[in-house]
Amino acid sequence: MTKQQANWSPYDNNGGSCVAIAGADYCVVAADTRMSTGYNILTRDYSKLCKLADKCVMASSGFQADVKALQKHLAARHLIYQHQHNKQMSCPAMAQLLSNTLYYKRFFPYYSFNVLGGLDNEGKGCVFTYDAVGSYEKVGYSSLGSGSTLIMPFLDNQLKSPSPLLLPAQDAVTPLVEAEAVDLVKTVFASASERDIYTGDKLEIVVINADGIHREYMDLRKD
Amino acid sequence: MSKSVVEMPPKGGFSFDLCKRNEMLSKKGVNPPSFRKTGTTIVGLIFQDGVILGADTRATEGPIVCDKNCEKIHYMAPNIYCCGAGTAADTEAVTDMVSSQLQLHRYHTGRESRVVTALTLLKRHLFNYQGYVSAALVLGGVDVTGPHLHTIYPHGSTDTLPFATMGSGSLAAMAVFESKYREGLTRDEGIALVTEAICSGIFNDLGSGSNVDVCVITKAGKEYLRNHLQPNPRTYTSSKGYSFPKKTEVLLTKITPLKEKVEIIEGGDAMEE
Amino acid sequence: MDLNMNLNAPHSMGTTIIGVTYNGGVVLGADSRTSTGMYVANRASDKITQLTENVYVCRSGSAADSQIVSDYVRYFLHQHTIQLGQPATVKVAANLIRLLSYNNKNMLETGLIVGGWDKYEGGKIYGIPLGGTLIEQPFAIGGSGSSYLYGFFDQAWKEGMTKDEAEQLVVKAVSLAIARDGASGGVVRTVIINSEGVTRNFYPGDKLPLWHEELEPQNSLLDILNSSSPEPMNI
Repeated sequence: MTKQQANWSPYDNNGGSCVAIAGADYCVVAADTRMSTGYNILTRDYSKLCKLADKCVMASSGFQADVKALQKHLAARHLIYQHQHNKQMSCPAMAQLLSNTLYYKRFFPYYSFNVLGGLDNEGKGCVFTYDAVGSYEKVGYSSLGSGSTLIMPFLDNQLKSPSPLLLPAQDAVTPLVEAEAVDLVKTVFASASERDIYTGDKLEIVVINADGIHREYMDLRKD
Repeated sequence: MSKSVVEMPPKGGFSFDLCKRNEMLSKKGVNPPSFRKTGTTIVGLIFQDGVILGADTRATEGPIVCDKNCEKIHYMAPNIYCCGAGTAADTEAVTDMVSSQLQLHRYHTGRESRVVTALTLLKRHLFNYQGYVSAALVLGGVDVTGPHLHTIYPHGSTDTLPFATMGSGSLAAMAVFESKYREGLTRDEGIALVTEAICSGIFNDLGSGSNVDVCVITKAGKEYLRNHLQPNPRTYTSSKGYSFPKKTEVLLTKITPLKEKVEIIEGGDAMEE
Repeated sequence: MDLNMNLNAPHSMGTTIIGVTYNGGVVLGADSRTSTGMYVANRASDKITQLTENVYVCRSGSAADSQIVSDYVRYFLHQHTIQLGQPATVKVAANLIRLLSYNNKNMLETGLIVGGWDKYEGGKIYGIPLGGTLIEQPFAIGGSGSSYLYGFFDQAWKEGMTKDEAEQLVVKAVSLAIARDGASGGVVRTVIINSEGVTRNFYPGDKLPLWHEELEPQNSLLDILNSSSPEPMNI
C-alpha cells in the first residue's frame, strides 16, 4: 500500500487586500475587487466587503468559499439576534461574535483574514483586526491580505498608534478627518497595486459615519 | 513511457548530485533563496519582410513585482534578438554567453551571424544542463537565408514556427495569434498583432504586466521600440503628497571606543636559537 | 484549481510514428503534435527528420533527446559520407542511433524509427525503442498512438504493396491513431524514399478521413450546438 492521505488541499488563496481606518466620528473600510488564483484572474469585480449590521462592515481576503460561508453564518446569527433583541447588533458585539465564530473552527479554520470596521455605541470609529482562528484586537487602523506587507508599514508611518499596553488606555482612533483618510486609502491601494500582483482592478471604499453608509469606487491597475 | 530501471554509473557529462541534494532539502522544508522569475509573456511572429518580437516588462519574485519596467528582449547579434522567460538570471546569462560566442564567430568568419547558429548554441547549452538552466526563449532574426523564428525550451528542444509565444502568458497570447495571424502581414499590422498578444498576456496573466516592448527585425536592420505601449499608468496620486517626518528615535548617545586587540609589551626576552 | 496543466513539464512528443516497407522503398509517417503536459506547444511540428539524402528518422518521446540524437547522427553520417565517397546505408544510420541510444540509456527517453533506401539492401525500416535495441522490421510503429495500431497493422499490412497502397495505409493508420490518442494530432506528414529519391507529402488535419463518432471540422463550437442537436437520451 502506498500513501493514504489526500493529495489535494481544501483551501485556495484568492488574494486581495483590505484596509480599515477609524476616525473620531467615521470609519473607512476598503478592499480591492480582484479575485484570483495562481496566475489567473477569476473576476475583476468581486466585492470583499460585507455589511453585517447598520454600523458594521467586514472586509475579508483569503479563500472566497470560506469567506462566503463565514458571511452567511454571521448574517444568520445576526438575524437571530434581531429577532431576540429587536435591534441591530453593535459593532463591538459583532466583533466578539466574529471571534467566537472563527475560533469555533480552530482545527479546520476558515481561511479568511478579516477586518471589521464600524461605529461603536458612542458613534466613534472602531476597527477590529483578526487572524484566521479568531484572535482579535481593537485598533485605530489595519491592513490584511496579500498587499498588507506593503500597506501596513506606510500606515504605521503616517498614523502612529499608541501602544495598547499604555495605562490609562489611550484612544486608538486616528487624528485624520474623513476626507484625508479616504485620500490615504486611495493612495495605499494605488501603491499596493503597483507592486502586488494579487491587488488591482478596482477599489471599493465604504465610509460609515453618522449619516449612514456611503460607498465609492476608484479604478486600479488592471495588469 | 517509463524510464529505464537499469542504473549505471555515469560515464561522463555534468554531475547533477547537488541538484538532487537541493530537491531533497526543499522536500524537508529547507528552501533555497528565491530568485527573480519573470512570469512572462513573450511572443514573436514572421511578417512580410522580417520578424517581430514582443515582450511585457514585469519581473516578479513570488507575488511581488520587483521590476516594473525590465527588458526581456535581449541582443544576440545585430540581426538577431531573443526574448527570454523563466529565471531572469538564466535568460540573461545564456543570451549574453551566446551573443559573445556569435561575436567571436563573426570576427573569425567575417560574415553576418545566422539564426540557426544562435539556435544550435542555445539548445546545446540548455540540453547539457538537462533543464536546470530554466530559460524559455523565443529567438528571432533575419539572415542571408531569410527571416527565422524559433522557440527553445529549458530542456533543449526547439521548434520552428511562423508565430510563437512563451512564458506564463503564452496561452493568452497564443489565443490572439491563433485567431488573427495570417501570412504576409505588413509591418504595421504585425506590430499591432504583437502588441495585442502581449496586452492579452499583461491583462489576463498575473505574472505579466506593465508595458509592451517590441523589436522589429528586417533585412534593412532592426528597430527596437522600447515601451512601445504603456497601458498601465499610475491610477491615483494624492494631491497633497505625503511626507515622512518621523525619523528613527534616538534613545541614547554613548560612544564606546574600540579596544586595542593586541597589547604590546615592551622589553621581552630576545629570541634565541 | 488544477488548470495549471503542468507547463513546466519537459517537452514531449506523445506521438504516432510509422515506418512501412513496400516493393521498392519505404514510407514513413507521423502526426504533428508536440505537447507540454496538457498544452499543445506545437501543432505543426515535423517529426520526420532528414539524416542523409536517402535516410530519414521518425522521432518520439522527449523532444530534446530525440533532437540531440538525430543532430549527432546527422553530423556523424555527414563525415561518414565524405570519407566513404558514397551515400551511407540505412543500416549504418540505424547502427549509429542504436549506439547513442544504448550507451546513454540512462539519460535518454526517446524511441526512433529509421527508414531509407540504399543500393545494397533497398528499402529498409529499423526500429530503435527505448533501451537501444535495434530491430530490422518490415514495418514499425511507435509512440503513444501505436498501441491503437498493432491490431490494425497485423490485419492490414501485406507483403509487396505498391507505393500508393503503402502510403494510403500509413495515412489511414496515423489518422486512426489521431482519432483515438489524445497525445497525437494535427496533420499527417509522410516521406517516401525509393531508388528515385525522396517525396514529402502533407495531409492537413481537416482533410483526413473521419472515423467512428468523429465530428466534421467546425469553425465555431456553437455551430455544433445549433445545428441538429443530438436526441436527448431515452431512459
